[in-house]
Amino acid sequence: MKKLVLVLAVVLLGISFVGCGQNDKWDASSTITVYTRDTSSGTRAGFMGGIGFDEAAEDDSKLASGFVIKDNTGILTSMTIDEYGIGYISLASLNDTVKGLNFDGVAPTVANVVNDTYGLKRPFNYIIRSLDDFANDTEKNITLAFIAFLESTDGADIITNQGAIPLTSTQSWDAIKDSHEVCSLDNSGVTIKFGGSDSIEKIALALSASFAPKCGNFVPEHDHTGSSDGFKRTQGSEKDGDNYKHVGFASRPFKESELGSAGTQGQLAWDAIVAIVHLNNEVSNVTADDLKKMFGGTYTTWDQLLS
Amino acid sequence: MCIWGYKNMSKTKTLLTNLKNRFTFNSKKELVDFFVRIFFFLATIISASFIIIIIFFIAREGIKPFVTDNNGIGRVDVIRFLMGDTWLQGTVFQSNLYGVGFIIINTVYIALLSLSISMPIGVLTALFIAKIAPKRLSEILRTTVELLAAIPSIIYGLFGSGIILQLVYNFAKLFGIQSSGGNSVMATVLVLSLMILPTITALSEVAIRSVRKDIIHGSLALGATKTQTNFKVVLTSAKSGIFTAAILGTGRALGEATAVYLVAGNARSGPSLGFFQTTSTLTSTMLQGLKETIGIDYDIRFSVGIVLMIIILLTNATLNFIKRRVGNVDVK
Repeated sequence: MKKLVLVLAVVLLGISFVGCGQNDKWDASSTITVYTRDTSSGTRAGFMGGIGFDEAAEDDSKLASGFVIKDNTGILTSMTIDEYGIGYISLASLNDTVKGLNFDGVAPTVANVVNDTYGLKRPFNYIIRSLDDFANDTEKNITLAFIAFLESTDGADIITNQGAIPLTSTQSWDAIKDSHEVCSLDNSGVTIKFGGSDSIEKIALALSASFAPKCGNFVPEHDHTGSSDGFKRTQGSEKDGDNYKHVGFASRPFKESELGSAGTQGQLAWDAIVAIVHLNNEVSNVTADDLKKMFGGTYTTWDQLLS
Repeated sequence: MCIWGYKNMSKTKTLLTNLKNRFTFNSKKELVDFFVRIFFFLATIISASFIIIIIFFIAREGIKPFVTDNNGIGRVDVIRFLMGDTWLQGTVFQSNLYGVGFIIINTVYIALLSLSISMPIGVLTALFIAKIAPKRLSEILRTTVELLAAIPSIIYGLFGSGIILQLVYNFAKLFGIQSSGGNSVMATVLVLSLMILPTITALSEVAIRSVRKDIIHGSLALGATKTQTNFKVVLTSAKSGIFTAAILGTGRALGEATAVYLVAGNARSGPSLGFFQTTSTLTSTMLQGLKETIGIDYDIRFSVGIVLMIIILLTNATLNFIKRRVGNVDVK
């Protein structure tokens, strides 16, 4: 009986050592395990777009074999465990329990996103109707006030809360609201229509929900169908159709063909994504092509990337 | 005609007298009794009808992908759906390639493995609490087990993704195997075993405690030791209750979604029989991306729900059949 207890104790001790046996050397010949979000994720669309691998945004069969599907936090915690894994998360969730990889030599920091040097990101843009193309002045002034609001520090807070990185703003809404007289009136009969990119829908909803009470309780109406509808339904071919919008959004730069009239377009935020690995991983810099080869299965081991 | 009418009338008369008897109350007590009976009956109707409503709702949504053309994507083939070894790897909204065959195998495989770990541990713990431990200790242990049974599954999931994934990852490394960050069959089985252990322990303990004293005394009087009695008499007498514990444990293991989703790795093809392979179960597949999807990709999750309900029914029926076969011993 005593022997049995002794054997059990030794086994238990062994298991607990396994728990802390984390000091082995990182082995570059190991297989890369790819961690991804599921196909309905906007972060996945942004990441795959950013590394030039658009076809994998909604198609798992394009990914390297043996991929693991997890959510944002799941990928983050997995990278604290799996020394040979690679995943991606939104920059807002990055912390020092994992290693955020430099992209094309630029470190993934908020500062580098705002000064436009960090590459793995996409702009969140807005466009409003041409200033002479509003049905009446009230609608025009509310729309302009909304744009002023999203560029204020109040708007920036909302954008940050939704996980994106706002552009630098200096003034609070309270400081500028006097120049928007329309907001002191009762606008409860006015409907302002928002549309465009569905990746920006959450931010747009949060912005309009917070702004409507500040601007005479106008009625925000959201119908987000995709980035290309952002321009089309405000200043493009559908601007006078049933689906017309006052404000459109696009989660990519506007194309040459989508340049609106002066003073109607701008950027509200950056959506930055960072590729992350385990702290023991020797890799610290990747390019878009490296990431595409890893997620696409061309590189199967880490030394293929390092060589 | 006339005779028939007369007979019928006498029948109606008896019926009326019966009804009259039923609705005449000789005392206040009988009246209260009547209303209490009605109240219980209503409660039963409500709880039973919810099950019917849920089944009806799931079935109505779940059949959609097989009978409509899903807004131009095409009808999902039932045979391929049930036998397939890949769960949608193409583009969402442009494909109807859903197969749950491998997921069914994964689900049953994982539930059986979990049961095979929890059953021996749970039953032996129950035996210890009910028969061997001193009274004070057994009371403390019983409370602990009941507490464990009340912990919600997300807590087990967080524990799993924080601790068990790390353990499994290191354990695999010990054998020179590189696992996907511990997301594997093994991690899932460990988490599920932990989850169903309290259920099995609590129910087995009740079953063991209700074994009649005179059976035990008989065994002891015949010269059997306490250990012999515990294993050969107590456990055999309580086997019916222990099987009930197994049935409920399996039900929980088959139906668990959140905790499994966090540690399984959500493989899209399979079946995964290796201990360190990533896997997926019916519930984790249903949960994945559920909040952000529409159209056929949403409806098909209800179809998976139907499959899951059928699997649970079949497993329960099988276990019940075995339970009847092993028989019953007269217990208190």
